[in-house]
Amino acid sequence: MSKHNSIHTGKPITITIDGKECRSEFGKTILEIARENDIYIPTMCYLTKVLPIGSCRMCVVEVEGVEGMILSCQEKAVDGISVTTNSPELYKERQNIMKLYDVNHPLECGVCDKSGECDLQNKTMEFGVDSQEFTARDQHRPVENWGYVSYDPALCIMCEKCVRVSTEITGDEALKVKFGGYGSTIVNLKKEADYASLGEAAAVCPVGALVISDFKYTSNAWELQKIPSSCPHCGGGCQLYYEVKPTSISDRSDKIYRVTNEAEFATLCGAGRFGFDYANKAAKKKPEAFAKAVEAFKKADTVRFSSVISNEEALILQRLKERYGFKLVSSEAYAYQKFMRAYASITGKKLFGGEVEKIKDSKAIIVFGTRINDDAPTIKYRINSASKWHRARVAYMHPMEDSEMQHIATQFVKYEAGSEEGVAALLAHTLIDGENIDEKSKAVMDTLDIGYLSAESNVGEEELEALKASLKKREGFSLVVGEDLYTHPRAEQIARWIALIEKYTDFNVVCVPPAGNAMGVSLICDLDETAEGYTVGYNAPGDFVLSALGDGDLDMPAMNQQEGTLTTFDKDVVPMHVALSYDGYVLNDIANALGEEKRYTIDYTPELPRESGYKKVCFDDLPDYFDKTGKEHRGYRLEERCVETNGSAEEPEELDTFDGAVVYRCNPSTQFSPFTAKATHLKDEPLLRGSQQFAAAAKLKDGDYVRFEIDGVVFERLFTIDTSMKGTVAINPTFDKGLSSSLLSSYRFGRPSFEKIDQKIGNENE
Amino acid sequence: MGLEQFKNRNVGRQDYVMLDLGHTPETGMGKFKQVVRRTVKPELFVGLWVTFREMINALFRGKMHTVKYPLEKLPISPRYRAIHEMLRLLESGHYRCIGCGLCEKICISNCIAMETRYDENQRKEVTEYTINFGRCIFCGYCAEVCPELAIVHGPRYETASEQRASFSLFEDMLTPKDKLDMQKEFEGFGAVSPNADENIKKTPLAY
Repeated sequence: MSKHNSIHTGKPITITIDGKECRSEFGKTILEIARENDIYIPTMCYLTKVLPIGSCRMCVVEVEGVEGMILSCQEKAVDGISVTTNSPELYKERQNIMKLYDVNHPLECGVCDKSGECDLQNKTMEFGVDSQEFTARDQHRPVENWGYVSYDPALCIMCEKCVRVSTEITGDEALKVKFGGYGSTIVNLKKEADYASLGEAAAVCPVGALVISDFKYTSNAWELQKIPSSCPHCGGGCQLYYEVKPTSISDRSDKIYRVTNEAEFATLCGAGRFGFDYANKAAKKKPEAFAKAVEAFKKADTVRFSSVISNEEALILQRLKERYGFKLVSSEAYAYQKFMRAYASITGKKLFGGEVEKIKDSKAIIVFGTRINDDAPTIKYRINSASKWHRARVAYMHPMEDSEMQHIATQFVKYEAGSEEGVAALLAHTLIDGENIDEKSKAVMDTLDIGYLSAESNVGEEELEALKASLKKREGFSLVVGEDLYTHPRAEQIARWIALIEKYTDFNVVCVPPAGNAMGVSLICDLDETAEGYTVGYNAPGDFVLSALGDGDLDMPAMNQQEGTLTTFDKDVVPMHVALSYDGYVLNDIANALGEEKRYTIDYTPELPRESGYKKVCFDDLPDYFDKTGKEHRGYRLEERCVETNGSAEEPEELDTFDGAVVYRCNPSTQFSPFTAKATHLKDEPLLRGSQQFAAAAKLKDGDYVRFEIDGVVFERLFTIDTSMKGTVAINPTFDKGLSSSLLSSYRFGRPSFEKIDQKIGNENE
Repeated sequence: MGLEQFKNRNVGRQDYVMLDLGHTPETGMGKFKQVVRRTVKPELFVGLWVTFREMINALFRGKMHTVKYPLEKLPISPRYRAIHEMLRLLESGHYRCIGCGLCEKICISNCIAMETRYDENQRKEVTEYTINFGRCIFCGYCAEVCPELAIVHGPRYETASEQRASFSLFEDMLTPKDKLDMQKEFEGFGAVSPNADENIKKTPLAY
């Protein structure tokens, strides 16, 4: 497996487990090979997605010629060994381990949330623990409420899975083991931060010790129906299950009680796990409104939509555009589309060449132009894993430092907001070995005024040298670029510089799309830049508004109320299923009224554009599962499509950097859209957060209410000083702005003029 | 393959034994004679004597066997499964139900529903509990599975009511607080066996 760092991996070996000959490769543990070959070895603390923990000793096996018992989760198999996974001694050993786990474990299965899906319950039964020979004096261990999750130390079996997930996967590093023999416990070192990512730690808890606070005691696991789907928030399309059950005895309509996932292999971020409560419940079929919607489409000059939309809906809009000739506007996706077109003009491939999964295996990672922990938490998780497993060098290039990246990044490269083009050129110049590149680019590269770029962007040459030095004697590099670059006025030039890095180095380049299904939209729709005339808005403002938030002229289903596929930043097309019923009209009804003929929205799935790499696969044929070894089988991967290469890098224009008080458009890591804002379990305040320096530059005090305008959207915000921040850039979230958040299309950094107001006056958007 | 084997429906061993049932009269006279023969037998007078004896006992010796039903009721076996009752803890008066949901799970007619929540005392609280008696088949699984002997079958077998709801609310099934002293321990289906103590193993307590 990728996470194991070892030399000589990959050499084929053959071992015998319980008489069965198993072929595999060196570098894998006995347990992994056993699982690949369908041989069962019981475990309690083993978690496939992290390094072996080795705290439970349940996975002991006997190896011929080796004295004693071997921990199969840790020991790498060597060629020719013969393993026994079950014998009377091993059974006795495991039974004793279970007995020890059961010492003083509260007999409260009757009320415990985990009952029915509890590893301790299952294994206690499996090993027939019907008597107890061990004992220990019990201690008082009070329940702790940590916000999103709560912890009951009395139920904890100290398997350490949660600590490992918090360290190796999510990287919040909040949970630690407090050692003390029988009094050992898990402690939360960052209680005040209340990380939603601790939901991940709760997901892997094999017992009921770490549970979701809002879910606690509301339902038994077996009463909930699991509906497999994909998370629509950030563009990662992570696997999840919506778990539904009737709301109450008097209201028999379904409600989502919680979101779970295949936590053994996959990970969800806080928004995915807690941001599920955004369905458009009140929708009803109103034929008059529907007729008006059809009329509106007929006379529309523009259809504006947010990228929180399925591939199929995007295709419907594209078909309607072809039929009626209106303009299709989706600002985030448009920026990404433009960026990727320029990018493809160098690489010759429609999509970026990197793979998100490879980030985990990288030994050096550069993050550029994105506040990655907030923009795409699951990518940050992968960077964190690389940092923990391979001690990867992580260079974090951004105008503002991120305290959440502090323990991951080995180098912060701070550049001036606005100077991304120069930084991209510098980066390309540093990373590309100038010998074997095409002449045109070489000519531009040779004439780069490094001194000027370096001075203007504030990226020191010695910083770049240090960056280059850190790559030496390493292999497996990743470059993650993000939304700052797509919205930059010179996005296309930046794209070409980044593309050169992909083309001429072995960097695994990932261009993280903006939130929502922006990647799918950019591949399916032919987008226009600006809206004009009569506008129909789909989850966006317009003269006639279709809204899944329930505040428009016609209701639309939210993402958990409809079937469809999403295109993820890992280039996968993954299915979403219906979790909650919906009584209103869907976009397909409008399309049918306008002359398209499809019974269901998912009838468009096999018709997704082949030229963008989609396959002719019906929705119902899309697989959605993980196999025993943790390999993901969800949907299909986009095929690679070649395009013409005609671009070349251009000399950067004079860099226009931003001084003074700058505002950066960025949502907190648990917020992506008006939909996550609607979700009641996520608790984020829309605050303008800035450092002391920013306060001085903008002449603001902590607790001031300010009004400012970006792209025609008026923000009224409470300003707070965040002591973890530095510099003169403040963070302004947009998730609370409802439909108008899709109007925000300009460069993410801006210098709005602040107007102090007495207090917040309502929440008017326009 | 032919279909012969499917067409032969005379399966089994075919070794029937014919019983001797005597002959059936065919003429009208024969039928009449049979009726008279069967009716007028000494046993008829035995029966009349028993009835007469009991009448004398009831009227003159005060040995009445009739139960005056709505006013009098016979004691019912603890195994009888009538309308459910929810019991309380005798010491605290708190209801016994812990909200484990096993009755809801085991119910084969799917008629039990409950709502629970995390209460202020960090305990699981049952906020709502209903049994749909329109669907309940009184199988007794809920009482059997209940780990707390909280839901049991009571002796209230008169299930005629103007509304089903009269039975189905948690409050209605709970022992009234003021009648806690009259709450009887359930001995029926699923109750602790009389020799339960003998079956319990002690766990080591070294301290």
